[in-house]
Amino acid sequence: MRETILVVDDNEINRDTLRFAFEDSYNVLEAENGLEALKIIDSQKISAVLLDLTMPVMDGIEVLEKMNESGKIVHIPVFIITGENQQDKLMKPYKLGAVDVITKPYFINFVQCRVGNIIELYRHRNDLEEIVNEQVERLSAMNLSMVETLATLIEFRDCESGEHVKRIRGLTKILMTAVCDMYPEYHKLRSEIDKIVMASVLHDVGKISIPDNILQKPGRLTKEEFEIMKSHTTKGCEILSEIPDIIDNDIYNYSYDICRHHHERWDGRGYPDGLKGDEITIWSQVVAVADVYDALTSPRVYKAAFTHEKAVNMITNNECGVFNPKILNVFNACIDKIRRD
Amino acid sequence: MSLLTELKEMGVNTDEALARFMNNSAFYERMLGKFVANAESTEVMSFIDSGDFEQAEKNAHTLKGVTGNLSLTPLFKGYDGVVSAIRSGDFSAAKQIMSDTLPVQEKILDCIKKYK
Repeated sequence: MRETILVVDDNEINRDTLRFAFEDSYNVLEAENGLEALKIIDSQKISAVLLDLTMPVMDGIEVLEKMNESGKIVHIPVFIITGENQQDKLMKPYKLGAVDVITKPYFINFVQCRVGNIIELYRHRNDLEEIVNEQVERLSAMNLSMVETLATLIEFRDCESGEHVKRIRGLTKILMTAVCDMYPEYHKLRSEIDKIVMASVLHDVGKISIPDNILQKPGRLTKEEFEIMKSHTTKGCEILSEIPDIIDNDIYNYSYDICRHHHERWDGRGYPDGLKGDEITIWSQVVAVADVYDALTSPRVYKAAFTHEKAVNMITNNECGVFNPKILNVFNACIDKIRRD
Repeated sequence: MSLLTELKEMGVNTDEALARFMNNSAFYERMLGKFVANAESTEVMSFIDSGDFEQAEKNAHTLKGVTGNLSLTPLFKGYDGVVSAIRSGDFSAAKQIMSDTLPVQEKILDCIKKYK
């Protein structure tokens, strides 16, 4: 299929000349002013715009400004065709992203070459960008499945079926979204929610280093055993620091923080660092409460599953350690969504 | 005599113009035909006279571009001079150049009309 060039000029002779230059190889559309041009750019696939500067209704500079606002300037090469030869007036379009300024009088065959070369270059670049985007998408899907596989394998040792990891992911998503919605200071984290959710999956990765006799002990842990159990937080960080390449940098940082701090408590009585209050990141606080809720409502070798109501009571009464009042508000607000049947 | 030879005698750089238009004289002559109406409807002098120098500059600028591409050299020089004069604030020079250019333009337009 032929590519389309848009010629924008209020002067008929100028439009005719450019049409003459390109109609043998391209589909040529015309607009008499900037406003008409933008309508065409918004509704059709355009490979290049040949734009006059001085026009009634909307001039060329404003067209460039609008194409900057919409982001189209990145994908569509815009050539300024002008009789202007004053340096300062020619710099402005360049600064607004015009790819080239062609001054009149020109030779048609040169204009054909300049425009044709850039269209080819942009086509190539746009194609490459599409390929890269597809691969990034595939890579991140593979990453996610690798991370989930890793977490599920570890959980199997804990006599879980992989469901815990899935539930933590769901709970983190619900609670983190509510945190961002309910508290303005966390609005800006909205764009990070997906990364935090993915990172939450790895919170217990350190459990791989805990011996079976402790991890699967049906009864209460001794003080020494509990100390070893607590080390799953720092061991998790050690493991992550050995495999930083399987996840992207942001997710790595979130995972590291969550691994280390999902057992910290608001009053400073958690572990391993005894962080207090807002020293604990909000995402680690979210995963902490999600983890506690899920542990309470799940059967474990050392206990039966508590009911939803019982678990909620225990959490809100700080029986499982003290949580941030904001986190408890969020937790209560989400109670119907997180309820485990 | 043909249109292009006559124009050439008036100082129009027809050789350059044909090179600009990839030696397509038919297309060049068609554009010259369109230039008649374009020039006649694009006023410069009356805007200079009424003191609307912004509009005068705009229109002179348009005609400068068109005449440049058509290699209508004497007119291109005239309109280029008018634009520069207005931009530098020398309005009487702009008027003078315009007065010198208009009769040349008239001759060229008459010639083109003769062959239409």
